[in-house]
Amino acid sequence: MSTELTTDGSVPTTDTRSGSSGHLADKAFRGLTQFFALLVALSVLGVFVTLLVGAWPALEKYGFFNFLTTNDWNPVTDVYGAVAPIYGTLVTSLLALLIGVPVSFGIALFITELAPVWLKRPIGVAIELLAAVPSIIYGMWGLFVFAPWFSENVQPWMTDNLGGWPLIGSLFQGPPMGIGMFTAGLILAIMIIPFMAAVMRDVFETVPPVYKESAYGLGGTTWEVVWKVVLPYTKIGVVGGVMLGLGRALGETMAVTFVIGNSHNVSGSLFMPGNTISSTLANEFTEAAGEIYTSSLISLGLVLFLLTFIVLAIAKVMLIRLKAKEGKAS
Amino acid sequence: MALYPGMSATQAGPLNNGSSSQYQMSAPEKVAASASEPVSVDTTMEPSKIVVNGLNFHYGKYHALQDINIKIPEKKVTAFIGPSGCGKSTLLRTMNRIYELYPDQRASGEILLDGRNVLDRKQDLNLLRAKVGMVFQKPTPFPMSVFENVAFGVKLYERLSRVDMEERVEWALRKAALWDEVKDKLHQGGTRLSGGQQQRLCIARGIAVKPEVLLLDEPASALDPISTLKIEELINELKNDYTIVIVTHNMQQASRVSDYTAFMYLGELVEFDDTTTIFTTPANKQTEDYITGRYG
Repeated sequence: MSTELTTDGSVPTTDTRSGSSGHLADKAFRGLTQFFALLVALSVLGVFVTLLVGAWPALEKYGFFNFLTTNDWNPVTDVYGAVAPIYGTLVTSLLALLIGVPVSFGIALFITELAPVWLKRPIGVAIELLAAVPSIIYGMWGLFVFAPWFSENVQPWMTDNLGGWPLIGSLFQGPPMGIGMFTAGLILAIMIIPFMAAVMRDVFETVPPVYKESAYGLGGTTWEVVWKVVLPYTKIGVVGGVMLGLGRALGETMAVTFVIGNSHNVSGSLFMPGNTISSTLANEFTEAAGEIYTSSLISLGLVLFLLTFIVLAIAKVMLIRLKAKEGKAS
Repeated sequence: MALYPGMSATQAGPLNNGSSSQYQMSAPEKVAASASEPVSVDTTMEPSKIVVNGLNFHYGKYHALQDINIKIPEKKVTAFIGPSGCGKSTLLRTMNRIYELYPDQRASGEILLDGRNVLDRKQDLNLLRAKVGMVFQKPTPFPMSVFENVAFGVKLYERLSRVDMEERVEWALRKAALWDEVKDKLHQGGTRLSGGQQQRLCIARGIAVKPEVLLLDEPASALDPISTLKIEELINELKNDYTIVIVTHNMQQASRVSDYTAFMYLGELVEFDDTTTIFTTPANKQTEDYITGRYG
């Protein structure tokens, strides 16, 4: 615009800024951004290689498959197997998802569909704040406040009322210690809820209003509209949000370390103490003496790395399959 | 009362209230007064399906509809025309209370459907929307198969056996003149149909619940001429069974499909008459200016 408004009224025919210098800046910018992007890929590769090198002595001694299937972690006899921490990691994360997904769904649903306008923002901000609380705070709160209350008021009730159920009853048996895998899963759920709720809220808001209007216009209730129109429309984003939560739950360290009990032990009861990969690393790295001990811990890190990688890969595959199905059927 | 042969007692009911005298004024008188005050013209000699009395509508502080009075005749096509922002879509959206999804939108006054005020707080919204279906400007097929799209609304109200449901879906698709085109792809995604087919799918979805009134909000404005023609033929077909209210920007379309036309301007109902009169000898200067393309 401004170039056309020269004082004598003529339109300038050449733009002095264009030319080789602008072209060069463009090139440099492209190079710089490319470098940053490649840096990410290099870091991932670097981490993987470092882990592999560090884990090598242990893997060489036990064999990778053997390491994964040995249920023994004994620094005294120098025998290390990864079953207990892997089990603990999977169980606590799964529990966190079981509790966290419905709750996040409800929160997102409330904010986007049901909440009065004046309440939407405060709740949205509260969720973002909850996401910003450092995990060690959750850990301390879990250990000093939640666990004692839980062991006194909830666990006995659960053992009495759920402990006798077929199939799942054994999950709720055991001494009410407050700390253990159940508590860890619960704390993890609280930690990942803000992430999942925020993602779900954002994707629910991408549904064009006219779709909701048509569903409401047919006489659908809020539940029917959300379940049959909003959710199918946003399933890809919702899966993405859940995977983000799962990724965080798998890797979470401090809060879990505080409340899980840190014992290398595979138990059928959720009330028993256990261990996760990350809490094992946090607890034992400083006192790991000897090459094999350290190397075994690094191997655990490698397993966690692969585990998160697998979760991500499964999520990607699920999304691709969902998309393919959408093109074909829905 | 005698003006409305065949009217049931409940339908006649609303006319007994205090405002009934204004309906007895003749059209020219009303038009003469139109420059300053809201107009209610009643030229319909048909039984009314929907009677709007003193309707006001606000978007927040904006007064979008001002004292609207109109009677929508039963089993006829009534078109709302007028320049953008005149309130024609707003008026349509009050009839199934879809505006209530947005907290800052308010309507006051009366909208009587078969004599019962649908703006009443006690009105069951789901029931109202089962009776008053709506089709939007943009086709809105849900992310599911053609069959499920049509069955969606039905499932909300009725528990049908599989056979009955199949029958109902076929019936609705035939009504919407879509059956022949989709009978082999009932289980394909509804979003994979063409734009015109999607819109007819939405109409099929609307009539599958067997409503009494169909509200069409510029149903053809996003479609190509051939699809538009099909939709218009469909409207002609549907008025045998349904009361149809259509909002359109396209005056040719209004003149082709409607029996009655209401011209709205700046939130007021300027003139309402049978379509031929509106398009040949409108009583109001504003209407004439609009239909001859002088503004809008």
